[in-house]
Order: sequence, then C-alpha cells, then structure tokens
Amino acid sequence: MMQKKICLLGAFGVGKTSLVRRYVHTIFSDAYLTTVGVKIDKKVLTVGAEEVALILWDIAGEDEVAAVRVSYLRGAAGYLLVVDGTRPETLETAASIQSRVNAEIGAVPFFALLNKADLQEDWAIPPERIAALEAAGWTFRRTSAKTGDGVEETFAELAAQLAR
Amino acid sequence: MLDLPPRISDSLLMLLHAQRVLAHLVIDDAQNLVQAGGHLEHYGLDGLQSGGPASDQIPFLEGLLPLVETPFLIRSMEMPSGRVADIHFFADDGTVWVLLLDVTAEYEEARLVQQKAYDMTLLSQREARLIAQLESANQELTRAHGELAASRETLQLTHDRLQQELRDAERYVRAMLPAPVSEPLAVDWRFVPSTELGGDSFGYHWIDDEHFALYLIDVCGHGVGSALLSVAVADTLRSEALARTDFHNPAEVLAALNLAYQMESHGELFCTVWYGVYHRATGRLRYASAGHPPAILVSGPCDAIGDGLPLPASGPCVGISPAARYQDEQCMLPSPARLFVFSDGAYEITRPDGSMLDYAAFAEILTRPVREGQSELDGVLEYARNVHGPGALEDDFTIIRMAL
Repeated sequence: MMQKKICLLGAFGVGKTSLVRRYVHTIFSDAYLTTVGVKIDKKVLTVGAEEVALILWDIAGEDEVAAVRVSYLRGAAGYLLVVDGTRPETLETAASIQSRVNAEIGAVPFFALLNKADLQEDWAIPPERIAALEAAGWTFRRTSAKTGDGVEETFAELAAQLAR
Repeated sequence: MLDLPPRISDSLLMLLHAQRVLAHLVIDDAQNLVQAGGHLEHYGLDGLQSGGPASDQIPFLEGLLPLVETPFLIRSMEMPSGRVADIHFFADDGTVWVLLLDVTAEYEEARLVQQKAYDMTLLSQREARLIAQLESANQELTRAHGELAASRETLQLTHDRLQQELRDAERYVRAMLPAPVSEPLAVDWRFVPSTELGGDSFGYHWIDDEHFALYLIDVCGHGVGSALLSVAVADTLRSEALARTDFHNPAEVLAALNLAYQMESHGELFCTVWYGVYHRATGRLRYASAGHPPAILVSGPCDAIGDGLPLPASGPCVGISPAARYQDEQCMLPSPARLFVFSDGAYEITRPDGSMLDYAAFAEILTRPVREGQSELDGVLEYARNVHGPGALEDDFTIIRMAL
C-alpha cells in the first residue's frame, strides 16, 4: 500500500490536533489540549482504485519561543498549514513556517486551512491578505473541525494530488 | 567523551536503561527491519516482524530513511501505547539504529506548563481583540455622536427658522382678523390657536348700511395648511368674492363657498362654517351652518342669569360634496342680548380625568351673570382653561360675542 507522510503545521491553538481527531476518529472536543512534541496517526483512504495510507504528523504548534522543527518534515509528501480564522496573527505564523519548510524540503503540495469556519462572525483575516497569498501560489480551504465542514474533502484532495 | 572507568560507564548505562525503558530497532540499508529489542511492548511496538519494510510496521519511519543527518532526534513522540518517547536515530555501518527512551514524565510536566502558558496567551490575545473591537466601536460611536450633534444643530437651526416663519405667519393671520368694535354693535372675540397656526378664522363686516355679516370658519386639523385655507375662506367672505352670490343670503353664500372650496382641489381639507346676517332695522338674524356647532343667543342683561337659546341649523361641511345644500334659518334678536358664535374647540375640552366638557354645559356657562368690570369672554376662556388644566388646549379656541 502506498504511504504518504503529511505534516500539520501552524501556530499553537489553531486546531491541528482537532482536525486530525475529526478526520481520523470523527470526534471533536471544545476543550483545548496543547500538543507537545509529535503525534502520529494513520488513515487509509481510497484514491481512484488505489488505497493510500496517510501518515499524519501532528506537530506541536509554533509559539514565540519555540519554532517548528522543520527537520521533522523530512520525507513529507505534503503538508497542511493551519490558520485560526479568528486570529489574524496565525496567518503570518503560517506564512513564516511555509517559507522555512520550503527551504528545508523544497516545493511539495500544501493547502492552507482557514480553520474554525464555524466562528465566521468572529473572523478577522483581511481578505486582501488572503488574496495576496493566493497570488503567491497558496491554495486556501475553509474548514471546521467542530462541524467537520471541509475536513474530509481537504485531506482527500491533498491525497489525490500526492497519489498522482 | 568522558574518560570513565568501564564499571562507571556500565553503571550509567544500566541507570539509563532502567529509567528510560530502552527499546531499539535496527534497520538495514534496504530499509528493512532486521532487529528489534528492549522494552518494545512498553511503547506498543511488540509483535514486530524482522525482514519486511520497516515503515510498513512503524509508521513514523515513513520518509525519514535513509538518514540525512546522524545522530537525529525526534523529541516527545506519543507512541501507540500512550507512552511518550524521545526517538534517537544513529547511522552505524550501513544500518540505522533507532533508540526509544521514555520521557513520559517530562512530557506531562512540559504539557502542563505549556497548557497553562497557551491558555493565558489565548486569553490575553482574545482580550486584546475585544479591547480593539471596543475601541473601534467607541470610535464609531464618537464619530456617530459627532455627526448626530452636527445634524441636531442643523435641525435646531431649521426648527428655529421654521418657528420664526410660523410666528411671522401667525402675526399675519392675526393681522387679518377684524378688530373688536363697539358701535353700533359691540363685537368682541377671543382666538387661541392650539399650535402656532390654527385652523380657525373669522370675520365680520357691514354688507351695507343695514346688514351686518358675521362668520366663523373651522378647517379640519391645524398647522400651516389648515391656516392657509381658513384665511383664504375668511378673505373670500370678507371681500365678498363669490360671483353671482347675494351675501345677504346665508344659504346661498355657503352653497357658493362649498362649490369654490371642494377638498380635492384644496389639499383634501374641508371646514365648518357659520355665516349669519343681522338686519339692524328689524333685529332679524338670518343664518346658515355648514356642519358648525349651533350659535347661542343669550337674552337678558349681562348682570343677571340669561336665557340661553341654541340656534340650530343643518348643513354638511364645506368642501366634502358639490351637491351639498344649505338652508336659511332666522330669528329675532331681542335687546339686551348676546349672540355667541364659536368653534367646537371652545367647548370640546378634555378634563384631566379624561372626561369632556359638553355643549350643554358650555351653553350654561354663557348664561351666567357677568360681574361689573369683568370681561365676559376672558371669563369664558379662563373657564375653558380651568376645565382643561395645565398645558395648551388641544384644539383652537375661538368665540365671537355680538352684544345688542
């Protein structure tokens, strides 16, 4: 079976672990539990006629004192940059991580997830900033780990790209 | 490296082995698992089979082999058993050694500290966002308040200008009213509009040497529109500006007035009109009414209780229908006597308890004796104000008194 390593990256508290739990275990909790180090999960899905195993690396979020260890991304076939739509600063953290990842492992497929889409009324990301990043080649998807909106579709879309 | 005696080195290794629950994997250059040992079950990795691709059995190895750097460390990886391990990678002569050292205790400690720190940070970020939103809302409010103050000032200026124009108009309307006369007939009046401009107007004049016309108009509503129509109707009567109309004949006057002031061409306004003509030589009063309250004739001297007599007349309001017909009524005015013509605002007065003064009670007031030196009309107005209580009267108060 084809295996693909996918890393979830972003600032702390953006919902990386919740997205994995929603995608792999179909569960969600409102309680915030921080991630230290790395959690590995595996999800098998079918792409076309082929089964693909996604090895999901849920890597501890970046904060002011601890940067993401980009060396953990070695061998990653793709990655997801997770952004909290209610915290504009997390988009800038994602942009910073993306440039470091690109330097470490080169250009591999990735999506930027505007997570917490269920809190639309609290969203504070300037549309022009999103447009600028899209112009730079980013692909955005809106997700909600709470409702599940966009989660399965996004992972499946990335898997389809990686399986080509 | 420390140059330690073998016994001490061995002791340190034993200590590490005991505290860190050591497990190891060995992977060859074809990335097949060739050896696994130590406390694999502690990490949930028991049951591994040598010989096959390592990453098929151990997912976290996917993509990491061959090693790019050695040694290589992945800190605090949560293992299938729930334990947390530091994963150390070492390249050694064509093979890769992977050592797992338990750091669950340190992980839990770090997680608690980090959880607290992130919770605090998220709270303070949320607080900062709320403060920013509040400041933004406050700025918006301040701006809106400023705009409101500016528009209120503009509104006040406009209001003041309109008030001034209304006062000018009121002065003009009052100037159009006839002055009280004392000879040969004594005619006096009181006019208190409920707003700056009322819907009441009136007049009186000699048609010829023998005939004295007296009239009162009450246009529905109040304000500029009603006042304009009221003044126009009064001016029409004063100037006798109705073609082919005998102004000695009240019913004919009202019929002509009705045709001239149909409501569809006068702002949907209509009015009540009382029109009477007194013939001095005979003492006969001819009158007609277009929906107006009956005038009251009070016979007898002023200083005694008089004999009050309503002067009924029927006819529809002016302006409602061009087919309206009016009828002359007549009566003889004795002497001494007072004729009172008034609008409904003179007696339809609401008391503070919500009840209303009625026509009969008002008629009775007019029959009361008047003390010497007292103005009868002032007394009637004062009575109306006392009935109403504090504040302006709801409707125009107009009363004309003709004394014989």
